[in-house]
Amino acid sequence: MEGGRDMTATEAVTATEKGAGNSDVRFRFDNLGLTLVLLALIVLFTLINPRFASFSNMINVLTQASTYIIVAIGMTFVITKGGIDLSVGAAMALSTCITFDLLDNGLHYIPALVVLFAVSIVLGTINGLVVTFLAVPALIATLGTMVTFRGIALLHSAGELYYGLPPELLWLGQGKIGVIPVPIIVAALFVLVAHWLFNLSTFGVHVRAVGGNMEAARLAGIRVNRITIATYCIMGIAVGLGGLLWMARIDGTQATLGTAMEIHVIAATIIGGTSLFGGRGTLYGTVLGGLLLTMLNNALVIAGVEFFWQLVAIGIIVISAVTINNIRENRIAWIADLRTRSGLTQLFENKKGRN
Amino acid sequence: MQTQSKPTVPAAVPGDVVGSDIIFEGRGLNKSYGGLHALRDVDLKMYRGEVLALVGDNGAGKSTLIKVISGALVPDSGSIRFDGTEVSFARPTDATAVGIETVHQNLGLVDELDVTQNVFLGRELTQSSLGFLPRLDKQEMRRQTVELLRNFSIAMPKLNDPVRKLSGGQRQIIAISRLLLAEPKLLIMDEPMAALGIDEGSKVLQLVAKLRETGIATLIISHNLEHVFGLADRVAVMKNGAMVGVKRTDETTREEIVSMITIGALHGRGAGHDGH
Repeated sequence: MEGGRDMTATEAVTATEKGAGNSDVRFRFDNLGLTLVLLALIVLFTLINPRFASFSNMINVLTQASTYIIVAIGMTFVITKGGIDLSVGAAMALSTCITFDLLDNGLHYIPALVVLFAVSIVLGTINGLVVTFLAVPALIATLGTMVTFRGIALLHSAGELYYGLPPELLWLGQGKIGVIPVPIIVAALFVLVAHWLFNLSTFGVHVRAVGGNMEAARLAGIRVNRITIATYCIMGIAVGLGGLLWMARIDGTQATLGTAMEIHVIAATIIGGTSLFGGRGTLYGTVLGGLLLTMLNNALVIAGVEFFWQLVAIGIIVISAVTINNIRENRIAWIADLRTRSGLTQLFENKKGRN
Repeated sequence: MQTQSKPTVPAAVPGDVVGSDIIFEGRGLNKSYGGLHALRDVDLKMYRGEVLALVGDNGAGKSTLIKVISGALVPDSGSIRFDGTEVSFARPTDATAVGIETVHQNLGLVDELDVTQNVFLGRELTQSSLGFLPRLDKQEMRRQTVELLRNFSIAMPKLNDPVRKLSGGQRQIIAISRLLLAEPKLLIMDEPMAALGIDEGSKVLQLVAKLRETGIATLIISHNLEHVFGLADRVAVMKNGAMVGVKRTDETTREEIVSMITIGALHGRGAGHDGH
């Protein structure tokens, strides 16, 4: 892809018109590796246990993945903006507990849904406001709200186990349209809307711009704070929708719901290729990342591996994913040094042209 | 360089000047930071389509002056006329609104975005799809970017590459061309050739020369007298916050400019401030 440096304007035009269509092609290429990994894992898991590749298990994996993928899509907006959100699991617990409580007290399911999304969006907006107007770094801000939201959820309903949703809501988690479970369809629709926002709208470009170079974005007239708060709002919507599907699928919720969810969701996002340093993100990659992690979980369950090993695995996967990305972008000084000495630098031009 | 002709600056400059050719006129500009008097009664005129180089030692007040002109700083006193009307800038967007664009030293590019996205950042074009959904008109933006670059004979790599893959000179050129989209009347550049190699620097010089042909006035800070004499129609010298003098490059010498920069005074023929 390199080597076009000395093109004349005319050549550049031809090259451009040939490549007409989209810059998203680049992302698809970047994701090719991940797609292959995913396929390889499917083959591997199937060889180990043929049951894995069965239609019903695949549908099962997709259904399980739907909540994670939805929340990870929200996380993709936040991380691409240069932020992070550790409070997603706690926010999901708090908003679903409040909603379930109201349902138990006889509230009709439609206003209950409004409450669910209102609460989750407000919680997301709180994160956005703390990050912008109080200038608290996102990591600390959402670490704080994570504990706070979880605390409120526990104060509200410690020890309670909510169950028994009205059938209309149960359908969202357990119903099917044809042979496809509803959560898969809901997640797919959410991905489509997010695709429009992220890849086709002005908003998506501004999210990348703010994440890539906040000062440049400001100079270009972009309302940086507004974009930041908007990403946390989208995160809130994703948490609400993900929470809805989750509580409908298991027909219940409790104050400890979604513990350690943030690590899974962040893992899915950065495995997908979204840069923790901001400015670069891919929804397609996030969807792949979410599928990959869910499959891994599913395979470990089928293989009878203890749940806690999943935590061990996921932590290692997160660190590995970021490391691989750092190597690709030449961010690690001693590896870059090795590369220079071995004369391989030309193969890795990513850092060239940076100030 | 074939663009050495200097069509737009009236022959009488400096001296008395025809009013309508003046695009910018600052009078008695003052700015202090605490005890530091960064600008002292600075007067400056600029003509349509001219390239004016602003030179002076570090701390001479060049940066303060361009910040005042670009709206990033509000002067303590003084007045600015732009394109025939009295203006005052409270913030940079006030200046861009009347047609003053600034290429900042850090360029204001987003590394992760591609060339087209950077060129159109903050003024993206949209179309509606399905009758209601606004979506980016990527093809039109790409077409206009190609046209823009072609107009200025700028050789470019693929527009789909993120700008972090571009060289320093290419980044500088993208930073300039994205401002041209707004069709500015005055373009301010802060050390555009700094940190560029000879080859890349000359490409930026060529671009500036092209701009002159389109009638855009350019105010350019430079430390390099080679560039100043190769490119600028006039050169303004500052020292200690004051305007030492403005000279036509074809009526002065490097030695004279250097002595203005270091001694802070004109020697010989007494030609004072532009317009006085």
